[in-house]
Amino acid sequence: MNALLLESLNAWWPELLLSAGALLAAVAGAMTKRAQPAMAIAWLAVLGAAAALRGAPTDQAGGLFFGVIVCDALACAIRWLVVGMLALVLLMIAGSREVEGWLRGEYVSLLLLVGVGLMLMAEASHLLVAYVGMELVSLSSYALVGLLDDARSAEASLKYLLFGALASGLMLFGISLLFGLTGTLDFAQLLAACRALSAGAFGALLMASALLLAGLAFKISMVPFHFWTPDAYEGAPIPVAAMLSVGPKAAGMAMLLRLVIALTPAWDALQPLLVVLTVATMTLGNLVALAQSNIKRLLAYSTIAQVGYVLIGFVVNSQVGLVALLVYLAAYLFMNLGIFACAIAVVNATGSESLDAFRGLAARAPALALWCAVFLLSLAGIPPLLGFLGKFLIFGSAIAADQLWLALAGILNSAVALYYYVNLIRLMYLVEPQSASPIRPAWPLRVAVGVCGAGTLLLGIFPSALIGWARGSAFVNLL
Amino acid sequence: MVTPMLLCPLVGMLVVLALPKRATRLIRLVSLVATGAALVFSAGLLGAFQPGATGLQFIERLPWIPQLRIFYHVGVDGLSLPLVLLTTLLGFLACLASGSIHEREKEYYSLYLLLELGMLGTFVALDLFLFYVFWELVLVPMYFLIGIWGGGRREYSAFKFFVYTLAGSLVMLLGILALYATLKTFDLVELAQLGPTLPAALQQLLFVGFFLGFAIKVPVFPFHTWLPDAHVDAPTPISVLLAGVLLKMGAYGFFRISYPCFQEGARWFALALAVLGTINIVYGAFVALAQTDFKRLVAYSSVSHMGFVLLGLASLTPEGMHGALVQMFSHGIVTGGMFLLVGVLYDRAHTRQLDAFGGLGAKVPVFAGFLVFFGMASLGLPGLSGFVGEFLSLAGAFGVWKWQTVVSVLGIVGAAAYILTALQRVLLGPLNERWRALPDMTARELATLVPLLALVLLVGIYPLWLMSLQEASLLQLIAHVKGG
Repeated sequence: MNALLLESLNAWWPELLLSAGALLAAVAGAMTKRAQPAMAIAWLAVLGAAAALRGAPTDQAGGLFFGVIVCDALACAIRWLVVGMLALVLLMIAGSREVEGWLRGEYVSLLLLVGVGLMLMAEASHLLVAYVGMELVSLSSYALVGLLDDARSAEASLKYLLFGALASGLMLFGISLLFGLTGTLDFAQLLAACRALSAGAFGALLMASALLLAGLAFKISMVPFHFWTPDAYEGAPIPVAAMLSVGPKAAGMAMLLRLVIALTPAWDALQPLLVVLTVATMTLGNLVALAQSNIKRLLAYSTIAQVGYVLIGFVVNSQVGLVALLVYLAAYLFMNLGIFACAIAVVNATGSESLDAFRGLAARAPALALWCAVFLLSLAGIPPLLGFLGKFLIFGSAIAADQLWLALAGILNSAVALYYYVNLIRLMYLVEPQSASPIRPAWPLRVAVGVCGAGTLLLGIFPSALIGWARGSAFVNLL
Repeated sequence: MVTPMLLCPLVGMLVVLALPKRATRLIRLVSLVATGAALVFSAGLLGAFQPGATGLQFIERLPWIPQLRIFYHVGVDGLSLPLVLLTTLLGFLACLASGSIHEREKEYYSLYLLLELGMLGTFVALDLFLFYVFWELVLVPMYFLIGIWGGGRREYSAFKFFVYTLAGSLVMLLGILALYATLKTFDLVELAQLGPTLPAALQQLLFVGFFLGFAIKVPVFPFHTWLPDAHVDAPTPISVLLAGVLLKMGAYGFFRISYPCFQEGARWFALALAVLGTINIVYGAFVALAQTDFKRLVAYSSVSHMGFVLLGLASLTPEGMHGALVQMFSHGIVTGGMFLLVGVLYDRAHTRQLDAFGGLGAKVPVFAGFLVFFGMASLGLPGLSGFVGEFLSLAGAFGVWKWQTVVSVLGIVGAAAYILTALQRVLLGPLNERWRALPDMTARELATLVPLLALVLLVGIYPLWLMSLQEASLLQLIAHVKGG
């Protein structure tokens, strides 16, 4: 092994630990037929990964593993989000009654592999690695969505798989076009090669870029590639839906950011389209969410809408936008996983996924209802919660980039979104409960809700550390 | 001294949250102590305030989000001090009046204290970001307070209030972001200096953006439709705060942000503001005249009374602006008193229909006395506070907006009509037999109303003490808007 490889491995401890954890968990699951040993291994792997990430260097010039991976500050930020997400999802799995009985070591192993795939997506500097990361996430997710032994879960998994396969196909087609045009898949070389392309080949470049973006748009649930989202979320166990709503969005955004820099020459032609799709994503998500009566579907459409807000930070294509995007992703991690954890507690206790299950929650579980309201208000963008800060920065970046219409669209959408978020609060606080029996969430859920709640509230009131973190992560050369 | 005042409701809320649900007496006591302490601190502010000095006093400035140049920056001047006093006073009295709340007390009082924090913060914030945070902080507790403890169509009203005001705030947020994008600061003192350097067209645009946010809160016709619903369906103490304090937040926004920062916009918009004020005054009065529900009548009278604030603002004269500020304070105490009295009646009779009463004057003389007193203050009887505000507003506006002022006087005639009709239907005539056993006011109810009565008299007879607080800051503001 040469020194370069050693140095690369040194920066790659989190991924290595998670991969090792995944393998061990699979073995433990196969040998014991029980989930507990696998869960313990997963916890060790996640905590190990977090410890390794603390010490991971973020300043290798030229990338790792011969330049196919860059563990820069942006990648590091996303890796932190992924580790945080894994820990919270593990807590949710431990607290979810839905997956009890169906959960096996192999699934825990898949969850860790999703984590590795997400990290790969965020740090890929080569389209092949990016594609491998995406497929690792996708394939593991298909199986996780189908975890439950019922028809709905299986249908969701299949639907997700079919859509996903189509998206992967589109993306591969785009990659092959790009390779044919430029002869390289390395991001830095792509940029140079794209710049050198003749005017005649520009159409082909646009085509390839559009196909690549289509594949990624599928991952991040961007309109018009969002159709799978509500169905997959509805069929999936809630912790898996929670994972899907945060992880792939964050990693997909990072990949998108790197990709568009590599494809800079096509950006001017693509940006108007992306602006339109951004507005369409949030508007469609919000409008359809208004009509939902199932909590999972509601959160799915809310996710689509939130992705729309995040995309604003991306399409403005500025440093300010990138900072805003990272802050929003961090906010989204806390508030969205928080609301999913609350949903698990409610579904555990009532066995119903209907919004009516939230009726009178304030009387049955005051603390849970309070946190639930905090997450919902944060998602709606009410100060001083973290979601407000995210929106503030996102809309601010749009205005700073002279995209007043984008900011206006975001503002109008926030007003629409208020309706369905507050409707849930109304059900919890203003409506009499259907049953008076108190709800006591399992302790892992309480921990998850508490962590998310503390993040949403405290980071919302004292956000300067978070903004500092985002700034440190955003001021890098992404190639 | 400002920060400790803000901490009172915050600490009170945390203590209430930590107390067990059953300890309702203790929860009430903590809330009373917290709101009372805030009142004491605000009285301390009044005592230490130097009326002659221009500029802000009791300034505290700490970095909050240094990366965005956002500061925890608070202080008061002559424009905000009367409103701070109004807030702490009504906050305390309405807390006292909250004795009529008997369900989910822990939630009620924690939300109540959060509401007071938001209201106080809005009046002392000198950083636009901080201002917006406090401004929005008011919405959430208010939504719950109307929605859970209200009556009638409370869910609908609470939701309407929330959506209306948030929609307005979001437009304001857009303005804040645009302002920050051009001037790179949230500091209201700096913004007042830098804002006038902006191009006139941008100032006008920003003025309109902030106007929408403030106009919904005031409320300015045609954005007023949330008000009757919210005021009527809210529980009595919350109606008091809604009418007494929340409406002032909107009007205060003009004094603190729109006028100093966008002087070009303010001058450009003055005609529209005068016309809207006139519409508010006349329309509010005539709709009030048609009401059969006492509380709804008082709610519409608020629309009318707030019109005088707009008219005074539009005049840009010292008399008119003084009138606007006095009217804000006066409306707070008078309408607060009116809502308390309607609440007294409703607690006993469980109806607010004016037709259902009659002849109560002889049956409950103390109540009748208070009702007549506050009614007279509301219709602008000289010697009481309402007259001072309305007279000054009209006197200031007459030189600038003649026709609007002449038409506005119709509103005063209307006020006389609806107040006197209401008093007559409730107090005079033959006693409705249903109310044979109606008891008169209790000591607690008297305790909430007597301080307001004293203030109405004080401002009515000796308005100079209020005006001398405002004078320096107000003249500075007018010079700032007119010059340059």
